[in-house]
Amino acid sequence: MSDLVTLSIPVSADLLVLARLTAATVASRAGFDVEEIEDLRLAVDELCISLVNEGGGGRLELEFIRDAGLIEVSCTHQATSDDSVVDAVSDPSLEGLSARILDALVDAHGRDNRSGYERAWLRKQRARQQA
Amino acid sequence: MDETFDISEETRDGVSIVRAAGEIDIATAPALRGELEATIGRRPDVVVVDLLGVTFMDSTALGVLVGALKGCREAGCSMRIVVSDARVLKVFEITGLTELFSIFSALDEAVQG
Repeated sequence: MSDLVTLSIPVSADLLVLARLTAATVASRAGFDVEEIEDLRLAVDELCISLVNEGGGGRLELEFIRDAGLIEVSCTHQATSDDSVVDAVSDPSLEGLSARILDALVDAHGRDNRSGYERAWLRKQRARQQA
Repeated sequence: MDETFDISEETRDGVSIVRAAGEIDIATAPALRGELEATIGRRPDVVVVDLLGVTFMDSTALGVLVGALKGCREAGCSMRIVVSDARVLKVFEITGLTELFSIFSALDEAVQG
């Protein structure tokens, strides 16, 4: 049986930390080790900022699905305008960094469109098997 | 200012040191960028970015550091980074940026070059 945890936050730079905190807690409860938890924290952070950096206010809707040793995270940006509320500090030429980080930290990740909103997702399997 | 983030600047042995502590993310990276730009603007010979107290860093932070490196090169100064936390070092490693930056594990070593 899988567990679903949802988090809805406004697109605000200072609140994205909540996504990391939730990821760490879900991973910890799923039996991930310290390094895997840190990996998932960073991966979820990258998932969110990949959507936020494209501009628009509104909200981020995150879903954390825990199923045995597997965690799937989905982040949908329900943008309300074209105006970015986040100060873009990164050089656009460095956009590939986020994807490279995700490649290294999770088993799979991708982007699609759900109900007209941009969605980013990732999947990470716990490395060690619990007895 | 985010309670989990702190930034300071000092000069030691003629070297400008920008010290960050806590989490560098999309919320706090602008402050780091501002401090680095101000320091580089003073055209020191060497800028050391002390990340020994950093506990989290994402691609936004990397972007700021890359931008600072570009600024240093344009200003004619060198830039060194100090990091020892395995979590933070891992971000540099998986992005290949260990090849781009001069990275030290101790502040004294970075200051002396």
